[in-house]
Amino acid sequence: MAFSALTEKYSGKMGTLTFGSGDQAITVGGQAAMPFCTFDGEIPNKPIVAMEVYDVVDPEWPAAVVDPFKDVINDPIAWAKKNIDEYGAKAICLQLASTDPNGENKSADYAAELVSKMIEAISVPLVVWGSGNVEKDAEVLSKICEVNEGKNLLIGPAVEENYKKIAAACLGYGHNVVSQSPIDVNMAKQMNILISNLGLPMDKIIMEPSTGALGYGVEYSYSVMERISLAALAQNDEKMQCPITNDLGKECWKAREVKLTEEEEPAFGPDLEKRGVLWEAITGFDMLLAGSNLLIMRNPKAVKLVEECIDELLA
Amino acid sequence: MSKLIITAAIRGAHAIVDRVEGKVNAAIQEYGADKEVNLPNTAYYLPVIYGITGYKVEKLGDMPGVIEKCRQLLPELPAENAWLPYLGPGLDAGMATAFAFELEESLLYLDPDKCPYLPSKEDPEDTDPDIWLGAADDIILRKRGVEFVDGSAPGFAAVVGAAKDVETAIKIAKELQEKSIYVFMASSNPNGVSFAEQLHEGGVQVGWNTRLVPFGKPTSAAIHALGFATRAALTFGGKTPGDFKEVLKYSKDRVFAFVLALDEVDDEKYAAAAGCINWGYPTIADTDIPEILPTGICTYEHVVSNIPQEEIVSKAIEVRGLKITIAKIDIPMSYGPAFEGERIKKDAMFVELGGPKSVGFEFAYSKPLDQVEDGKFTVVGPNIKDIEAGALLPIGIWIELAGRKLQEDFEPILERQCHHLLNGAEGVLHIGQRDIVWMRVSKKAVEAGFTLEHFGTILHAKLHNEFGAIVDKVQVTIFTDEEKVKEHLEVARKTWVERDNRLSDMNDETTETYYSCSLCQSFAPTHVCVVTPERPGLCGAYNWLDCRASHEINEHGPNQPIAKGDVVDERLGKWKGVDEFVAPASGNAFESFSAYSILVDPMTSCGCFEAIAACLFAANGVMVVDRDYAGETPCGMAFSTLAGSVGGGLQTPGFVGISKFYIGSKKFISAEGGIKRLCWMPKALKEQLKDMITARGEEEGVPNLYDMIATEENGTDEETVMAFLMEVGHPCLEMQQLMEMM
Repeated sequence: MAFSALTEKYSGKMGTLTFGSGDQAITVGGQAAMPFCTFDGEIPNKPIVAMEVYDVVDPEWPAAVVDPFKDVINDPIAWAKKNIDEYGAKAICLQLASTDPNGENKSADYAAELVSKMIEAISVPLVVWGSGNVEKDAEVLSKICEVNEGKNLLIGPAVEENYKKIAAACLGYGHNVVSQSPIDVNMAKQMNILISNLGLPMDKIIMEPSTGALGYGVEYSYSVMERISLAALAQNDEKMQCPITNDLGKECWKAREVKLTEEEEPAFGPDLEKRGVLWEAITGFDMLLAGSNLLIMRNPKAVKLVEECIDELLA
Repeated sequence: MSKLIITAAIRGAHAIVDRVEGKVNAAIQEYGADKEVNLPNTAYYLPVIYGITGYKVEKLGDMPGVIEKCRQLLPELPAENAWLPYLGPGLDAGMATAFAFELEESLLYLDPDKCPYLPSKEDPEDTDPDIWLGAADDIILRKRGVEFVDGSAPGFAAVVGAAKDVETAIKIAKELQEKSIYVFMASSNPNGVSFAEQLHEGGVQVGWNTRLVPFGKPTSAAIHALGFATRAALTFGGKTPGDFKEVLKYSKDRVFAFVLALDEVDDEKYAAAAGCINWGYPTIADTDIPEILPTGICTYEHVVSNIPQEEIVSKAIEVRGLKITIAKIDIPMSYGPAFEGERIKKDAMFVELGGPKSVGFEFAYSKPLDQVEDGKFTVVGPNIKDIEAGALLPIGIWIELAGRKLQEDFEPILERQCHHLLNGAEGVLHIGQRDIVWMRVSKKAVEAGFTLEHFGTILHAKLHNEFGAIVDKVQVTIFTDEEKVKEHLEVARKTWVERDNRLSDMNDETTETYYSCSLCQSFAPTHVCVVTPERPGLCGAYNWLDCRASHEINEHGPNQPIAKGDVVDERLGKWKGVDEFVAPASGNAFESFSAYSILVDPMTSCGCFEAIAACLFAANGVMVVDRDYAGETPCGMAFSTLAGSVGGGLQTPGFVGISKFYIGSKKFISAEGGIKRLCWMPKALKEQLKDMITARGEEEGVPNLYDMIATEENGTDEETVMAFLMEVGHPCLEMQQLMEMM
């Protein structure tokens, strides 16, 4: 008798989300199996890596994430172009760090205009990420939605305290929203319910379950995401069937371990760049194994490593 | 009474449809049937007609079709002596009116030179000949509509007619503005005075940016309010044009609007009001017109009349069921969770309120809606300005609440919020609850301008924001006059006794709905608590009433109602509905729960249990150990070890996580014989629960049960405990063998 491998059959499947407009639109999600388990069910869309650009860069950034962008680091649009042309970015994530009231506190109008220019300048879908300040994000992100009506951007993060403003603007002006929850399965589900109650369809929502970098809680994110995936697939819980994204670049590159020199920690060795790249790549890959559909990453080499893994496993 | 009003509406609708038909025919004669008609910059044709019927009016020639539709809707004029009609025909007449009004308004745009409106403008300017804006275009709709979706605009008021004078108009407008409600204005009173013109005359800036929107002077211009609501359903609700049921339901559920009819209401306005009821929008009138009170289409009443203009806004908000949120708590100090743990030492303290050296209490109770004045704060007795630093005052915080959905059972839950709500203020310390309240206010807070009324400000804002689902009105009185404090305390005490008895009078048999609690699924994914009146959640923090209130407040939250359904096993506490709920809620990890058994399908435990009950098979009894006891127990495991094996969302026959209070319940492991099985517990816990155990022992015919329960002083291994139990003759020794019951 021929050998037949045992497969896992799931009653549910993850929903999809499409962002970007026209030919350049990208669809993520839709898998009917746990990550890379193509023998169990269909995985119609490969996970995507969106490469970050910042509108203002923290001077504390390690060289490994400054050097690749040295010539463009003060110009987010040129940076985005470089990511696309030189590093093959399939999507761009614009991180609006300058709007943080505890930093440069740039205005919503500034951000909306920058996004418009970015859309004009690039040929790949755009993710727009706020500074994480709850009140300011509500103001900035909803303005961006309004000014860039119909561009089908992916906009976030919307959290429990500000989701109404951001999700309503996404609904009104034709965008998608990132629903962020604090490493909590119940909250992830509740956020999806709350946002869809505003009227935004489930295929316009992507979850960000809060991402911990390697050594900084990656296992918590992993466990929450795995449970979301199982709820979506095995339990066919439709309120959990939104694709997942992870905003991991900023988490990885602030880790102590990517900054320590050999003098400070001899056991870590001299190659700071390699260490940082691996730190980000491994975090990214962990998230893929937990069920991520869209990674937001910074270092081009780390992105390449992760994309190679994706291609190999889903060849 | 409603016959009168509906007859008037039908009469009005007939007149309007007749008139509009004439205008349409005249327009076709003048411009030809192919003349294009539209409202400015909208993709929704004539939005009310398009949204409700799916019919696109693009040229004049399309209009007679709509008139035809109106004729079909229009009911016969009712005969004088008939009892009928009721609401149904009135609604149809209202819908016909809406269609006809929309046609009439669109005709105004035919000749741009004669159009009385300022198309696509957000605000009228001084240079404009008139203030009327007409229909909103799609850009305005999108921008403003988003505010309705995200809640920053709670709703709109369609104001028809005029206030009694300019001053009152300004007052009404301001009151609505303060609540962020849009004011859509149309029509005038019989003397040709309109609300919008009154505001304009009073120097109030009107336009979309001040949320005071003058649509137009004819009554027909009020249709633009419905056009706005209908387009919101199409744009934001994704509803299909022509799917009138969904469009109207969206308007009712999502666009909180109401009509304020000021001054005389004629037949046309009745017809328009009837139209609005279709969208779920009630009419509140200041004149003495007949009312339509029964609930049906609208959330509450349909037409409420004879409300003085001074009170009309708050009445309208109540009738429409509009929820108000308060963006900023208006106190001179900071407010936030960071201040909750703040201590105020003696030398930093300005005044001490209540506490061990005086009297202090807080009390919240519900009253009928018309007996509570929202946002009224009073101090009876000395206030901050009347005392010196370091003073001591008695305090009574007297909170009067009202709400359409507020139930008596929620009173204690809301009263309990005082502690964390008041503690959130910088410079305020609050300890205790009920009649053991002890507060301090810091000198810094007083320097910043704090007075005792601010306790009211805080409670009012926070109760509205956090419990808006059940609370509509909050009035607070602060008593510092000792006589008054004592007098009111007596009243409060009586109520507390009644409240305590109310829950203890409830039982599982007579209650049909239990509640789930899946709050702990974040770390114990398969765990579900099933909370019944006689079995509180194992954490001790959620009893049945808490769960019910929590569900009212957040219907998507972790506490869901469970219809218990048929009894599967009365002794074990198994119900069909509970089992059906538990399976999917536990991720299909469990098929069945027993509410009253420790041996057969006991309830899962997360990790938050106040105590753990465990079987001692040799002694044929059950021990209970609580979190505070760190020593060994007769089952061979200390609390921490036990917790590790019982928790995590597992069903572990022989062990179950419980709240302390559950020990005093008649349903405490009643499947295995109840409290008579209880043979060991830590001394501190036993002393804490002495009254409860004694009372339950007496009920079970073992009056000295308390003395028969072993503690760590009698032994911490099963053999020694056994010896003690035999010596005292503990009832568990004589009961059916636990092993046989598995």
